[in-house]
Formats: sequence, C-alpha cells, structure tokens
Amino acid sequence: MRPTIRISIAALALLSATQLFGASFGASTRVVREFPIDLAGSVWIDNPFGSIDVIGGDGNVVSVTAERVLTAPDNASMKEASDNVAISFEGDTKVRLMRTLLPPTRNVRWTASVNYTVHVPRSVNIKIGSKSADHIRVSHVNGSVTVNGFSATLILEGVNGASFVNMVNGRIIYDYTQKPVSKAVIQAVNADIDIYTPPTSNFDWIANTITGDILTTFPVRSGRFIGTIFHGAIGAGGPTINTETFMGRILLLSKGSNTSEAQSMRINPPDHQRVLSDVMLQPARKIQLPFVNGEFTFAASVADVTIGEVRGNARIETGAGEVELGAVFGQCNVTSMGGPLNLGDILGALFAHTGAGDIIVRAARMGGQVTTDGGLVRVLYAGGPMTLRSGGGDIIVRQASAPIDAETASGDITLTGDPAQKTLKVTARTLQGNIVLNVSPRFAADIDATILTSDPDVNEMHIDFNGISIRREQVGNRTRIRATGKINGGGERVELYAEEGDIHISAQNITPIRLANPKQ
Amino acid sequence: MPDCDAMRENMPLLLTESLDPARRELTHQHIEACPICVAEWSAYKETWQVLETLPEVDVPARVKQRFLAEVSPASVTTNVVPFRRRNVTRWLAQAAAVVIVSGGAFYAGHRVAPRTQLTPTAAQVTAIQQAMPANPYYSIAESRVLPAASISPQIEGRPDIQNVQFNDASPSSDQIGVSFDITSHVTVTGRPTDKSMVRLLRYVLENEDRESPSRSRAIDWVRATYSRVGNPDPEITEALANVLRNDQHQGVRIKAADTLQSMQSAMTDGTRDALVEALKNDPNPAVRIKAVEALAKLARSGAALDPEMVDTLRRKASQGDENVYVRVKAAEALSSIQPR
Repeated sequence: MRPTIRISIAALALLSATQLFGASFGASTRVVREFPIDLAGSVWIDNPFGSIDVIGGDGNVVSVTAERVLTAPDNASMKEASDNVAISFEGDTKVRLMRTLLPPTRNVRWTASVNYTVHVPRSVNIKIGSKSADHIRVSHVNGSVTVNGFSATLILEGVNGASFVNMVNGRIIYDYTQKPVSKAVIQAVNADIDIYTPPTSNFDWIANTITGDILTTFPVRSGRFIGTIFHGAIGAGGPTINTETFMGRILLLSKGSNTSEAQSMRINPPDHQRVLSDVMLQPARKIQLPFVNGEFTFAASVADVTIGEVRGNARIETGAGEVELGAVFGQCNVTSMGGPLNLGDILGALFAHTGAGDIIVRAARMGGQVTTDGGLVRVLYAGGPMTLRSGGGDIIVRQASAPIDAETASGDITLTGDPAQKTLKVTARTLQGNIVLNVSPRFAADIDATILTSDPDVNEMHIDFNGISIRREQVGNRTRIRATGKINGGGERVELYAEEGDIHISAQNITPIRLANPKQ
Repeated sequence: MPDCDAMRENMPLLLTESLDPARRELTHQHIEACPICVAEWSAYKETWQVLETLPEVDVPARVKQRFLAEVSPASVTTNVVPFRRRNVTRWLAQAAAVVIVSGGAFYAGHRVAPRTQLTPTAAQVTAIQQAMPANPYYSIAESRVLPAASISPQIEGRPDIQNVQFNDASPSSDQIGVSFDITSHVTVTGRPTDKSMVRLLRYVLENEDRESPSRSRAIDWVRATYSRVGNPDPEITEALANVLRNDQHQGVRIKAADTLQSMQSAMTDGTRDALVEALKNDPNPAVRIKAVEALAKLARSGAALDPEMVDTLRRKASQGDENVYVRVKAAEALSSIQPR
C-alpha cells in the first residue's frame, strides 16, 4: 500500500472517530393507546416539546400514538433522559388528558420531545398546550378548539367549532373547508396569520396589527379603523373572526384567489378618510440613509430611522422606534409615541417629543422644544431659547447660550451657562431632585431659588456668590428655603425650584464648547 | 499688629468676665478696630456657645490630674500632697477655665491657622510603627476600638473631630480611652474586581441614607467602570437591582436599569426579577423601556429566561394601553426566545 493511501485512511479514521466523539445519540420509543370517550367529551394534550396532530373522524374512541424522541451525548445522559421523561394518560370518558411529564429543571446535556398523533371523534372539544413544536395540526373537528402555544406552525383545517388560539412566534394557518359558522379568536405576538375561507363566506372580521399589514382578497363592507383595529364585514356578515398579531401580518384570502391580488386595508381602507395623525396605520419601516438632499418627511407606525444628514427640513412621525439624525440643515420636527431620539446638529428650530425614552441633542443652534413623557433629556449645546420637559428623568444642558426653561417631574437638572454670556435667563423646576447651575464667576443675575423639603438637614442651598439672602420658613410639615438677591450687580432672572433636593449655583471656570460648521 | 497677641490672650478672660474694667474696655476697643481680632473674637464666642450646648461630663480625676500636671506640675504637687479636701467649686472653676482656654485656643487655631502637620521625628514614627500590630486591614466601620499603638502619630490635614468623650472605666488599670467622631476623607484604591472595592461600591449604591444624586453619580461611575469586559460583578448588579426596586428618584431608576443592561454577564436571578418587576410595575415608561431592553438583550444572548419572565414579556407585548415601544421591545425579546 502506498504511503499516501495509508495516510488518507488514517486521517479518515481519525476524522470519523472525532465526529463520533462529538455526536449525540438518539433514541425513540413509541406508545400506542386507545380510550373510549363521550361524543361531547374533551381531549386535552399538554406537550411542551414536540409536534401534535389531531385528526377528527368517526367512532367514540381516542386513539393515541406518542413517539418519544431523546437525544443525549452518552449513555448516562440517555438513561437520565429516559428516566425523567414520561408520557401520562389520565381522565375518564368525559375528559381525556395526555401529557408529557418533564422534570422541573433539566440537564442541558439531553433533549426530549414527544410527537403525538391523536385520532378523535370529530365532535369532541380539543385543548392543546405547547411550548415549542415543529407543527401543531388540528383537522376535521367540529367541537371547539383551544391552542395555547409559544412557537410552532399551527394549522387548523376544517375546524368548524369555536376556536381560540394564542401563540407567540411561528405562523398560524386557518383553512376553513366550509363557511365559518362559529366565532374564532386568533391572537399572536410575532406570528403571521393566514386565513382561507370559501368565497361565499359571511362573517364579521376584526384585524389588529401594529407593525404588519392587513390584507384581503375579499371585498370588505363597512370597513373602518378604530385606532389600529380594523372592522369589516365579509358577505352578509355573521360570526366574528378576530385576528390579532402585534408584529405579524394578517392575510384573509378567498379560496381560489391569489395572494398577489390581496389589498391592504391599511393603505386602501374602504370607507376610511385618512387623516395626518393616522401614523399607527402606516406600515412599519426601517430607514437607513447616509443623507437626504432636500426635505425629508416620513411617517410610520413602527420605524427605526437613521439618517446621516438632512439637507433641508426634517419631519418624522413614528408610533414607536429609534430615531437618529446626524445633522439637519433646516427645521427639525420629530415626534415619536415611544423610543429614544438621538439628534445631532440641528441648524433650524427643533421640536422633538417622545412618549417615552431618552432624548439626546448634540446641538440645537436655534433652540426649540424637547419633551419626553419619561426619560433623560441631554442637550450638549443650546444656541437658542429652549424649553425642556421630562415626565421623569434628568435634564442636562452642557452649554446654554440662550434662555432655558427646564422642568422634570422627578430628576436632577444640571445646566451650564455659556461662559461668554454675562447673564442668562434660566427657569428650572424639579418636583423631586436637585438643581445644579454652573456659571462663570462673573455671571450676573437676579436669583430666586427655592427648596421645599421635608428634611432641611439634608437638602441645602449652596450658592458660590455673595449678595444672596437665604430665609427659612415652615410650610405645613415641610420647610421652604428661599434664596434671593442679585449676584454681580444683577441681570436676567434665574428662577430655580427644587422639591426634596439641593440647589447649587456654582461659580467655576467653564470651558466653552466649540461646534464645527456643517458643510452646506 | 503687635497688640493683637496680647488682646487674644485677653479674650478667654473677657469671655469669662474675669478682666478688670480697664483691660476689658481696651480689649473691646481693639476688637472693634481690628478685623483679624473680630474674627478671632467671633470664634471664641461661637465656641463658648457650643460649649453651652454640650452635656456636662465630669472629667475623670486621673485624666484631669495628668492634664494639670502637664500644664502646671507645681500646682498639682501643691494641691494633691496635703491630703485635705479642696474647695470643690474652685476646683471646677479652674477645670472649666482650662477647658475653655484650651478648647477656644484649639477652635481658634482650627479656624485661622494655616494647615500644618504634626510631624514627629523619623525615630518617633519608626518606634510607633514597630509597636503597631501587623493588621493589614483598614476596617470601614460604624464604630471601632483602636489601641493607641495602632494609630500613626502623624495627624494629617485637619480632621474634623467631634463628640469627644473621655473614658477611665477602671481605676486599677493604667489604660484610658478617648472616644470621638471623626470625619476624614478616605481614598480606597484597588482593582474594580477586588472584593473590598465591590463591597464598598455596593454599600455606596444601597445606602438609603445617601441622597439620590450621590447615587446617580455613583451609578454613572459604576457603569463606566464595571461595564468593561471582565469587571461585571454579581454584587454590583444586585446593588443596582435594589436601587431599581427602591429608589424614589425616577432618573436614578432609569440609570440603574440602563446600567444593568450593560452588565449581562453578571446578572443573577434577583437582578432579573428586579427587571421583570420594573417592566411590570414601574410608573415611568422610560424605566420600563430600559427594563424591557435589558430583558431583550438577555433573550438575544441565549440566556434561559424563566417562565415568569416570558409570561411578563408576553403580557406586555399584548397590553393595548402600554407604550408601543415597550410592546415592540417585548415582542422582539419573545422572538429571540427558544423555550427550554
């Protein structure tokens, strides 16, 4: 034998052995059982891991085939898995319960799943609980069907009874072989929902999704949106099919039609006059652009927007998402119902609001208004008058060159005046927190600072300037500490109000911020 | 001002109304004319007022005796040797005068003197250091008892010593005690992962007596330091979790949740519970956003999430009246979860 062949054989053997060492072993066992059941009885299947097939038919017997599949890297783990995973059959002729029993905490070295195939009388009611499955299929059942799962492709086929489905991930396919005659409630978080019904069906349809679309090939009567929820009637109307998925798409197809023919109810709602505030009806989008040469106007229900530079005015409205703008040469108007806003160099007037989240502004050269219902507000440079509000969170201005009006329901306010400004109008108010005003030693102002506190030993007024008189008085069970006076001969009014916090007017040498001029 | 020294010597006597009228008038006139002595006199008066507010504590006989021996050995000798009862009121008046004079002098010196260090000679330091026990730990404690030998004779800066009490519990022992509160600035150096450093920071974060703003600054610093690879510590995340649960200050809670997000590797069950609790119940939507973002990041990292956590995310994603961004983040977290 030539040396090269011998070496190749040795290498092959070594490779095989290596693969063998890393391999998992699989073992499967099958259990078959039959139980009598009443025609109006219920079958409950609780199977955390593994597929489930339920098929309706004739007779009064439940026939179960359960295949237990175990995988483990060695015999010890395999034995442990085998000892700890059991299939249980319980109940009587009214309720048959079959479930997979797993230990509360499992060794991660082995995995177990059980695949059930269950034949039932078509009139029985079905209840299924699942965590993770390749698929769950229920077909030809006239009784009610309830499925509560986490992740699976769920297929309901020829289910004529009432159905209630609650899933998180995966996909839901509901195929009506006959016209719907019972109500259906189908809820999901991330799953797409596809419903197929005969063309002559009559039912009421409710659809609700935030980021997905609502599509149908049916002509919809009386279609209207109430908020994000679409209501419409198919044919003459009838039982209600309620479809709701937060992040998925909803598709209602007339059997025989093509998906490509489906119309979006969000984009073309039958009887709906769109108004500008219908931002939640806009489809979700993701925008990433290096620059926009001119004005930029954008609205979406859920959107992450990242733009390097807008060479004009920017107007952005989102239901939720993260907005990041590098520079805006014109006016900037950003409104979000929720999500952080990260805004760079804004040359025009700025209006920014978010329902919840932090707002960071590098430079508001013309000033403006920045508000969040909850979150931090941080402005590096305020070149014009600014109004800053937070429903709860700190407010920080690194350099204010124009009047500032800041208020937070709970949080600290830290403002630093432009050292080049001899005086500056400042209004700051926190209902729970401290106020720190950093100014240059030659800063001149008329000071009116008030602390209202229930612990006057803890909350104090620190003012690094002379010419201030401080008074204390009792107001109910709290103490009011008020400092008034002129510093450096007086100037613009500085009005500070803090509850349960300190006020510190600090005189210090401040390094001014230098802004680069954006290329226009 | 050559008169100043003489006038300052008069001040304790002026305070106790022991000066004759002429010197009293002279001293008053000088004080009114001299700004330096005005400050000095104010300090004396302030000290006098403070002394009035202090509880009267008898100076132990032996301490008093030793002190007087240091001040005036001759007087001790003459007073003690004859074995006859002294006039108690006179004794007390003398002791009070001594305390006032020394206390006033200390206070005045404390106020106006430049910072000086009591610097013993090298030989003295070496001798005392040799006598000190070899204890490597400096205990940060509410109350400690230290043998005099363990204290460096070098008093650095001007530590603020208050509530001084003298103890001489056992006459048969030659040991005496001096108790006091001292405020001094301590700098602890070490690696972020040193257990002592972690415990100290945990105490700073969790100490409820501290104001929220101090905690806010502490969180900023903790985040900058402990987010670095290798530094996250479960004790720090536990402390942040407690801040997230308990701090009244919404801005502080936002920062605590945000910081936890950057310390995924050190999260404990308690930390996760705090995030879930914040997501469920915190009234500030920004805190809920930070909490759900932290949980989403945890889910994306493949960490096992317990059923309650998954259930909370599921309910949040479906909760119609919740902020849409919180719902989106909850849904995103759910999409990353592989049930186990």
